[in-house]
Amino acid sequence: MTDLLARLGATDPWFLWLLPLALLPLVRSALRRTSVPAVAAAPADPLSAWLGRALTLAGILAVAGLIVALAGPYRTGARIERLGIGAQVSLLIDRSGSMNETFAGRQPSGAEESKAAASRRLLADFVGARAHDLFAVTAFSTAPMLVMPMTDRHDAVRAAIAAIDRPGLDYTNIGRGLGMALSQFGVDVGASRVLLLVSDGAAVIDPRIQNQLRAAVARIRPNLYWLFLRTQGSPGIADRPAGEDTPQAAPERHLDLFFKSLGVPYRAFEAEGAEAVAAAIRQIEALERDPIPYVEERPRRDLTALAAALAALGLAVLVLAKLVEADLAGAPAETATEAAGAALRRAA
Amino acid sequence: MSDPRTADIVYLPRWRPRGSRTGLHRGRDAGGAGPFRDQVPFLQLPDARRIDLRATLRDPFEGVHVRRFEARTAVETWVLVDLSASMGFRGAADRGRLTGDLCRALAVSATRISDGFGLIGCDETLRDDLTLPATRHRGAAVAAAERVAGAARAGRGCAGMLEAARRLAGRPKLVFLASDFRWPETLIARVFAALAPHDTVPILLADPAEAEALPAFGLVELDDLEGGGRRVVLLRPRLRRAWIAREQDRIAALERAAAPFARRVFRLAGRFDAQALSRHLMTT
Repeated sequence: MTDLLARLGATDPWFLWLLPLALLPLVRSALRRTSVPAVAAAPADPLSAWLGRALTLAGILAVAGLIVALAGPYRTGARIERLGIGAQVSLLIDRSGSMNETFAGRQPSGAEESKAAASRRLLADFVGARAHDLFAVTAFSTAPMLVMPMTDRHDAVRAAIAAIDRPGLDYTNIGRGLGMALSQFGVDVGASRVLLLVSDGAAVIDPRIQNQLRAAVARIRPNLYWLFLRTQGSPGIADRPAGEDTPQAAPERHLDLFFKSLGVPYRAFEAEGAEAVAAAIRQIEALERDPIPYVEERPRRDLTALAAALAALGLAVLVLAKLVEADLAGAPAETATEAAGAALRRAA
Repeated sequence: MSDPRTADIVYLPRWRPRGSRTGLHRGRDAGGAGPFRDQVPFLQLPDARRIDLRATLRDPFEGVHVRRFEARTAVETWVLVDLSASMGFRGAADRGRLTGDLCRALAVSATRISDGFGLIGCDETLRDDLTLPATRHRGAAVAAAERVAGAARAGRGCAGMLEAARRLAGRPKLVFLASDFRWPETLIARVFAALAPHDTVPILLADPAEAEALPAFGLVELDDLEGGGRRVVLLRPRLRRAWIAREQDRIAALERAAAPFARRVFRLAGRFDAQALSRHLMTT
């Protein structure tokens, strides 16, 4: 209650000094007062007693409502921490040149969809699906790009994702991208953390950077998902190269091994088409169902209309009461003429 | 039609008054110019002018008899006026004016037949400024009645009636008790008991606006004249019937309380009608 009061304010608070006027209906009422020799002459009537109290309350409500409406009440905006179902999701999206190609490894033509466009379409749905997910978007090619810090503004996230089918450029430098994506998780709030890597290839990660990444992952402990948009014919995650098994010869396989060695929950999805990508994303959605504290922004709300409506309610009740008001005292006019007649007779 | 305030109210005391004051009522004592009362021996009343020849001749013991005639005696007529705030009620009629009219008519009627007219106003206490010892002076009596008509009515009860009843001790008097009798039942009983030695006429000041003329439907806010507080009442036919029945019960209870000690209750409502009061006084 005090908490609620603390969040109320008024634009012209000095009007509130008039509030004691709201006690007037306790003294006077809207009805015409009829003096009677004895109130006790009227039989006890619960309905009437109830009505009397209701009319007093309506009067108080009308006066108080008008005064409060004059003062311009509002509820201050607030940030409210709530608990919802969702996760902190850091999207790491490959923007290398190969993303512009279709899953068949060609430049898109006609109805064909590039890998970037397909992931854009599906990720956009992923963003809107749950209200309390937090998203950060990081893109990388040669250098990582901070697209969107961790936020619950899904429109902004969708806009960021909408931009990822812009023609990509250059190469795949996945190590620094992972570093930045990990740095997107802020202070630990107890929510489940998801790092979703969307790429169509991998690259060798420098051993030094590997150590830094290991340290960051050990600290942050995200759930790791790799959505590997595999171009038809290119080596898969599990494919051993024909020749020497070095990171240079099979970067995908070695990145997978690196992820597995991190000691955090990790899944890789090899998607060879838009449907496979959608299935992978549905699976991620189903897996990440942990409570997450989120902040709800409540804007300042004008309560003038509410106060005025309450006052109008009170006034309406009073007007109704006036409409059914009856005149108890017989006919004062008759008494007056009688008195005049008596005076005349006396004179005569 | 004559002014109701000066019209004569005709009344007969229920008892045979004693006293040497000459008036118009048949007294208990002999010695006046009234109708024949009895015969007494000459020695008891040596009045040679009133020797009853027939009775004297008829007496086998040859005693001389003298006729006695009733004395015409005056009585005192008192009005005890309730001046509590409820008597200031204005409904179909102004209750204060009605009371004033009654007092004035009684003052005129009483003094016209050389009865004394006394007046006591009371609320919680005796109102000495509105109290008049019994007088035969018409001017003083009428002035006192006029004062009552214009008196402020602010008292919250009528306990002064008991004191007023004590003041009336002595010979029987004709007492008009003008009030709306919105008193506690115990006070009603005590006042009537205190007035038992007198010939008491309760005059109930009623008003149609208190019962019969209530609207069938509507919202009214009642304000008690005697400080009983405010109350909102939603009148509707059922409540109105209950209200009227309650008022009738109250009046019936008043009649029951008054019956052993006083005449029947005269209901004064709307306007003062001296003839109606006369009829009531002659028939009860």
